[in-house]
Amino acid sequence: MTEVRLNRLTKIYSGGKPAVDSITLDIPSGQFVSLLGPSGCGKTTTLKMLAGFEDVTSGEIAFDGEDVGRVPAEDRDIGMVFQNYALFPHMTVQQNLAFGLEMRKVSKAEIKRRVQATLEMVQLDHLADRYPAQLSGGQQQRVAIGRALTIEPRILLLDEPLANLDAKLREEMRVFIRDLQKRVGITTVYVTHDQAEAMTMSDLVVVMFDGHIAQAGAPREIYETPKTAKVAGFVGQVNLIEAPMDPATPGHAATPFGPVPVTAPGVGETVTLALRPEAIDIAPAGAPGTPATIERVQYSGAIVDYTLRFADGTAMEVKTIPRHPFATGDAVSLSVDLARFRQLEREY
Amino acid sequence: MSQRKTFLLLLPAGVLLVVFLAIPYVSVFISAFREPGQGTPYGEGYTIANFTRILGDWFYVKQALNTMLIGAVTTLATLVIGLPVAFQLARPDLKLRGLFYGIVLSPLLVGIVIRSYGWTILLGNNGVINRTLREWGWIDGPLPLMYNTLGIVIALTHVFLPFMILPIMSAVQGIDPSVGSAARSLGAKRPTVIRRVLLPLAMPGIQSGCILVFVLALSSYVTPALIGGLRVKTTAVTVVDAMIDTFQWPFGAALALTLSVLGGGSVLIFARLTRMKWK
Ligand SMILES: Nc1ncnc2c1ncn2[C@@H]1O[C@H](COP(=O)(O)OP(=O)(O)O)[C@@H](O)[C@H]1O
Ligand SMILES: [Mg+2]
Repeated sequence: MTEVRLNRLTKIYSGGKPAVDSITLDIPSGQFVSLLGPSGCGKTTTLKMLAGFEDVTSGEIAFDGEDVGRVPAEDRDIGMVFQNYALFPHMTVQQNLAFGLEMRKVSKAEIKRRVQATLEMVQLDHLADRYPAQLSGGQQQRVAIGRALTIEPRILLLDEPLANLDAKLREEMRVFIRDLQKRVGITTVYVTHDQAEAMTMSDLVVVMFDGHIAQAGAPREIYETPKTAKVAGFVGQVNLIEAPMDPATPGHAATPFGPVPVTAPGVGETVTLALRPEAIDIAPAGAPGTPATIERVQYSGAIVDYTLRFADGTAMEVKTIPRHPFATGDAVSLSVDLARFRQLEREY
Repeated sequence: MSQRKTFLLLLPAGVLLVVFLAIPYVSVFISAFREPGQGTPYGEGYTIANFTRILGDWFYVKQALNTMLIGAVTTLATLVIGLPVAFQLARPDLKLRGLFYGIVLSPLLVGIVIRSYGWTILLGNNGVINRTLREWGWIDGPLPLMYNTLGIVIALTHVFLPFMILPIMSAVQGIDPSVGSAARSLGAKRPTVIRRVLLPLAMPGIQSGCILVFVLALSSYVTPALIGGLRVKTTAVTVVDAMIDTFQWPFGAALALTLSVLGGGSVLIFARLTRMKWK
């Protein structure tokens, strides 16, 4: 069980602008943390610095309070899972799993016992003597995870481990990895650009843009109280409303659904509000609420997505279970719990 | 593609191979078992006398063994020199790549005769090396570098080095860099990463390089002929002597065949010993 602390961690590759820019983050012991962000935002670089594959330009990395910034990768005691698995092609599954223990000069009998335990843990005991080339993608992935865990590392790092798998296997592996992590109780940093992966697996989601942490919090917190429009949009669909202050109700912004309390800017300015599409209720015209017209319907079985337009020309997305068979052009009535509105920070 | 089309497309290459490769081989094979001729390449009748003469004569046996030794030592020397060079050239962050490739290939850019004479200038009793060492007072008499096995190995190592470096380099370039990172994260220090991961994964290239250099060294003619002179002859040189100078075609063919069998056998054993189960 290891607690990880990043303090103003920065990486500048020769001559460029910072790939990771002064990141500060506390990862409590045993937690599953996702670094979530678009390609190129510095997730892999952060992971490489944690693993010791890249030098730190400035800032600190501490495991349980002990600075490991200068400790070489081979002495850092981390388990790493790579996107392309990086198995040793010339070693069998068993030999791959034993490698880390051999490096630690563990006795033959003990290696045998622990490799067997890992094989069972990742459900590969029947494939122990196969070479990686003889395994499917999902099986190779499980070997990679097993290999990282046999050494009982202080932390587990995974870099987009599911990116090369097909959709169905990906969902299975999500559950597999999460269950395993809980069972072992190891502090885990998981890199992904897939918000669904980050949301479903993590205790803590760290949203990154451009080398910075935009927001860190529990999945629910990130989804329901995003700080900025970029974060709100990255973890799900969102309606952004540029609302003027309501002259009639001080301290409130005027929205199509009525006045929403905000931490007010000066009179005459606008605030940005976020509203999740599933927060809106849609009912036939005539029901109490704000009138709107259906512009597009995307039916996908369990849920249906509507694009709606208000009389003033603004558009809004609504996501709901398909209760009424609305069609394009129908007049409807929208209502919303005003507490579902989130005021966003300005981005400059 | 239809079978017929495939056949037609393969036909020109097939004809070329049969006419210029298969027929000469078969012809060498057959003539090795013929009686010597009088003014003809070979005479009437079949015999194994050519082979009993080779195997019964320590001169030829020793020469064949020495030729094999030259092949083996040249292979070893190119491997020892070429392996680190290949690993360096395979680095993705290598600068001046074109220049280094040029240097590696340079032995092949000079004509074989000129290159061999170049080595005689360097290695001879009054050559550059011996003269320099004598002027510095390091030696009294000349070091024997020419007209012996050592000289041949030096010159062959020079010319065949690219055939060792290039296949290894290409194998190393094919290794996924994250495999090395994975080994380090599991606790392997740099030398262990090389020994346990990079070298085994470079094995296909090492294997091809060794086989190429060994076969080329075994069958080379011009360099051993010029450097070895009259004193040290390889089997290939003696084959040419037998055929051109003394016109003993069947005997030359038998010698050539013996060398092929020895060389081919060694390659098979080598390939067997270095077989990679994971490929
Ligand atoms: N070895 C490197 N040399 C120079 N720039 C790099 C290197 N690796 C990554 N970068 C740059 O750093 C930034 C962050 O990259 P990376 O950490 O790989 O992002 P992510 O994993 O989030 O996609 C990118 O702009 C990328 O081009
Ligand atoms: Mg990445």
